[in-house]
Amino acid sequence: MARLAREAKPEETTWYAVTVRADPAELTGPDRPAALALLAERHELRITPAPGGRGSEIAVRDAGGDTREEVRAIKQVLETGEALVVEGQPEGHRTLLGRAGGPAFRQLTRRGPR
Amino acid sequence: MKALCWTGVNEVSVEEVPDPAILNRQDAVIKVIASSVCGSDLHLLDGYVPTMAAGDVLGHEFVGEVVEVGPDVRERRVGERVTVCSIIGCGGCHYCKQGLWSLCDNTNPNPGFLEKLNGHATAGIFGYSHAMGGFAGSHAEYVRVPYADVNAFPVPDGVPDAGAVFASDAVPTGWMGADLGEVGPGDVVAVWGCGGVGQMAALASLRMGAERVIAIDRFPERLAMAAAVGAETLDYERVDVLDALKELTGGRGPDVCIEAVGMESHGTGAQYAYDRAKQALRLETDRGLSLRQAIHACRKGGTVSVLGVFLGLVDKFPMGAVMNKGLTLRGAQQHGHRYIPMILDLMSRGEIDASPLLTHPLSLEDGPKGYELFKRKEDGCVRAVFHPDVRPGTEAP
Repeated sequence: MARLAREAKPEETTWYAVTVRADPAELTGPDRPAALALLAERHELRITPAPGGRGSEIAVRDAGGDTREEVRAIKQVLETGEALVVEGQPEGHRTLLGRAGGPAFRQLTRRGPR
Repeated sequence: MKALCWTGVNEVSVEEVPDPAILNRQDAVIKVIASSVCGSDLHLLDGYVPTMAAGDVLGHEFVGEVVEVGPDVRERRVGERVTVCSIIGCGGCHYCKQGLWSLCDNTNPNPGFLEKLNGHATAGIFGYSHAMGGFAGSHAEYVRVPYADVNAFPVPDGVPDAGAVFASDAVPTGWMGADLGEVGPGDVVAVWGCGGVGQMAALASLRMGAERVIAIDRFPERLAMAAAVGAETLDYERVDVLDALKELTGGRGPDVCIEAVGMESHGTGAQYAYDRAKQALRLETDRGLSLRQAIHACRKGGTVSVLGVFLGLVDKFPMGAVMNKGLTLRGAQQHGHRYIPMILDLMSRGEIDASPLLTHPLSLEDGPKGYELFKRKEDGCVRAVFHPDVRPGTEAP
């Protein structure tokens, strides 16, 4: 049983990775996007070519919730020119519970698991 | 403005909400002309899709007029009449570039829930829960459309709103079902579910050369509508579907089985009771009766094409049949952008007509009544479509 319990939790990777439709040279040279340079000041980054001409793989070490959002936003800006927002849309009457729990709910649906 | 909001399980109401604004530079604001209910909305109403919150604006299948564009919108113009794809693509990611629009990497600002549930997040959808992006829906006077150049399609002048509204979702979804099944000349296709999507899957299969299409449902008016398109029909409350399909196909089974029902499949017998009980107890998220049937019925080496919306886990999934019969199992939320221009062109030339789906034109204020009719399939309702410009109690054009 002890062995089963031990084996039930394999070690998790410490890297959070996304694939971006951009040339690795654009992301690694001196002209790389400022947001990526800022990210590199706080985190170890690994940028490698993605197979099959799919662009680049950006891996970020020890990315918490904020950083994962930041990485997604960098990918969006590189691929589409902007980071999509939904705050400020029309909405009807929110219940008291909805208003109180909204921020935590949003954070949960936004950041997701590692 | 007025909008139809989800307020709780089996509750919707028309509320006064703020007007939408341009939030991103590639957005447009659309004045809604017509916005249809969809069978997949019932999963929200019935409480089977989590991450809905009271006050969320419903609706994802619509036609409207562009009234405002963001500074980076290049192709859409104010005044254009457009059909907007229910699935939101970005046009720039690997998946959009491959034509796999509903797998878009960039249009779901809330990817966490789906990453946990499915391993990856997929595209955002208008008015379809916070897990699908939390976008305000189209059952409103106005709706904001992100990446307007790729998601809004100009409607040719000759196409009536009553047809153009379904070019947003029902027609391209049905078309994709036949396309994923690679339907071709000589094929026998069976379609489970004769709602809007199933009707259009039957129509698309026939246009792609299917020799026979067999449509399966229990409502006489829906079966009659499928028959009018050119399909043979089976009422699953009157005949054993698996037996009947074997007989109708010389023992082979259909070459392509299109499932257009989804997570709230109805049926008969012990299996249906089992699914209802397990779903009610939250021991499975999705009732898979019609999906299991499609897999069992499909001929050896055939294709099962899944269009019905499934959320998560189907119990008693017949993996043995998939493997041992060498089936191809395909599915997706619609990659509508692939099909919408072609569909609008066919509509403009009078080659296809989706307007018979619109059985109940209503005002937006009559939205709660529309959903009630649609959910209960009362009065022959196939689709209720809301027209914000129409006064309550009067019939829309």
